[in-house]
Amino acid sequence: MRAPITPLPPRKSQYGIDPAMVKTRVCELPGMTSVLLKELFPDLPEVIFPGPGGVEAVRKAAEAALEKIDMSRIKPEHSVNILASHHGFTLLGGEPYAEMLKTIKDVIEKRTGCKNIRLRAGVGLRFRETEEYIKRYGLDEHFNGKAIGVAPVDQGIPIETEIGTLYGIKKVYDADWIVHAHNSDVREVHFHRQVDRAVKPFGMSYARIETRSTYHQNLGPRAANFTARAIFDSPFVQSKFAFASFLTVAPNGIIGVDADNDLYALNDRVTQTGCRYYGKMMTLFGEIDECIAALDFPCPVVYVFSAGVIYANFAGANTDLYDLDMPLPAYTWYTEAFYGKRGRPLLDDIPPLNPAIKMCVHNYAWTGYPSAFFSEHIPTVVVGREQAELFNRDPQNLTYMAHAVVAEDTRAAMDFAYKATGTGKVVIFDGAMGGINVSEPLAELLLQKAPAVSRRVDEELLPKWLRQRGVIQR
Amino acid sequence: MKVVNLLAMVDTEKCRGCKTCERICPVLAIKVENRVAVVDAERCRGCANCEQRCPDLAITMVKRDEPLVVKVDVGAVDYDRIMDICRRAKLNPEQLICYCTGTRAEEAAAAILQGAKSPEEVSFLTGARTGCKVECIQPILRLLEAAGIKPQPPKGGWQWYGRTVTVWEIPEAVKKKYASRGFYFDEDIKILDRVAAAPLQGRSDA
Ligand code: SF4
Ligand code: SF4
Repeated sequence: MRAPITPLPPRKSQYGIDPAMVKTRVCELPGMTSVLLKELFPDLPEVIFPGPGGVEAVRKAAEAALEKIDMSRIKPEHSVNILASHHGFTLLGGEPYAEMLKTIKDVIEKRTGCKNIRLRAGVGLRFRETEEYIKRYGLDEHFNGKAIGVAPVDQGIPIETEIGTLYGIKKVYDADWIVHAHNSDVREVHFHRQVDRAVKPFGMSYARIETRSTYHQNLGPRAANFTARAIFDSPFVQSKFAFASFLTVAPNGIIGVDADNDLYALNDRVTQTGCRYYGKMMTLFGEIDECIAALDFPCPVVYVFSAGVIYANFAGANTDLYDLDMPLPAYTWYTEAFYGKRGRPLLDDIPPLNPAIKMCVHNYAWTGYPSAFFSEHIPTVVVGREQAELFNRDPQNLTYMAHAVVAEDTRAAMDFAYKATGTGKVVIFDGAMGGINVSEPLAELLLQKAPAVSRRVDEELLPKWLRQRGVIQR
Repeated sequence: MKVVNLLAMVDTEKCRGCKTCERICPVLAIKVENRVAVVDAERCRGCANCEQRCPDLAITMVKRDEPLVVKVDVGAVDYDRIMDICRRAKLNPEQLICYCTGTRAEEAAAAILQGAKSPEEVSFLTGARTGCKVECIQPILRLLEAAGIKPQPPKGGWQWYGRTVTVWEIPEAVKKKYASRGFYFDEDIKILDRVAAAPLQGRSDA
């Protein structure tokens, strides 16, 4: 069995505990191993990162992709906002995304002579998260002091759309041109359902609270992402949209950079890779019969990664998140909202959280996303009192610890989980690149199940998923 | 219900009186007076919005010695009237409208029936919208509207701008135009209607 892959190190952030307090990573404990994702699914694409070229390979790919972009409407006297989102900085250490952002700026400046190029970096629910990344990756310097984080509570502007007035963040749109700099990682499939994934930030990280609340409370689980399309298609946004540049991502790493003046053309390509590659990984996760899920990554509980899949999606892996005939995933905010006062779903056909997760060991994960639903419905052990206290001080997680217990250290937490659950299968959400850190029994199960999953996705599921989204299979 | 265990504290040396905090506080608990922000400790719901957006990092969140329990007693209001408001807003009285504080539609409706006339007052009384501050403005506006109240956003504030579309109001032409692109409007209406009409657990199990 292979040695575990070194996980991403903890990060200093106001949303997590001091990295010095993360004494042990779960993958360092006895019995842990790793499986390369290419071993599971040999048809996964070749990646440029991680790789021998480092982030320079990302710069080259971005330059090549931007060559075909029409930038003729951007004049030297104009202003350009490059729009970024927090999530890109959580992918494979964050450097690839930061490098793409820097490259876009450099190329626009060189091609158009425009010097007034700013970075506007949106967030989810941690309003200073991108401020931290701007400093960490030297983006403030690279953008000559014109790099800022923006949040959904900042001053807004109305945007007239075909479904009425929605609201964007004023500073996102305060330039002549906007460039949508994003990534194709699927992340929140439970929210966007891989419908218009590439458009989503227009209804999220670039949007005001009214719009985001429309998405999560007014439209329903499968119509939600229409808020993003409505805003993007508005005459106001169309009058400013220059082009999009995406870091293209598969579960095993960065595949390249894709850029287009036509966001919907890019979106169709993103739908293909999202369904094909991530769909296989998620379907394989659905085959796990029982396990302990260990969280060990610098992100909120729901966003910790394993093999490109976030914990929120593993918690829903008992359902097919890509199947649009299924209205409510086991976890999404609509589902969470539909649990009544006795802690049960209001409708009998709402699926439970993935019953294969027998226990969650929260070794290291951040605050800043409402996560009490998880500790309420999945037995959870949090490592360290400092981490427990951090959650108790988070306005979004005041009851997270009401449902969780605290263990002194990682080893004690895992020992307890092994004894209490009786399973030896462990999946670790620690962002290991190119592979997945798991316990030996789980490695065996994944290797055994992967070929049949691969066939089923290729032959049966992928054609259905693409058909449901009106995308022609390539 | 929310147990408010934090309180915003202003460092008057750092504050430059820019009013960002005043414009975003969801319960109007912080105001700039004589060019310095002042927190009303009794009103503050510990949401950290001001702390997270102050451009001068002048605000810290401190633990309260005595946490405040913020709650509207649903039992003190005629439940039929709560049901009526919730149904008009197309919400099940027991569904969550605020994920962070666990506030259910019935509690916000009860707050409205007890006199809350704006999102700020609903938040002040229930704690809703004092967690992430992002996701729950629309159901609050829908409940107020269902009770016949048309609130105005706080003057000069950025707290909120307006109620937006619900899936029931999406024009047929729009639904038709995007039917083949994976947007399941009518199917989602069915599920949301079923949820709104679902039996109440709190009552049937009581
Ligand atoms: S946001 Fe900060 S600097 Fe501005 S008024 Fe409030 S406390 Fe003062
Ligand atoms: S309620 Fe929130 S925004 Fe208002 S003063 Fe308190 S912490 Fe600041």
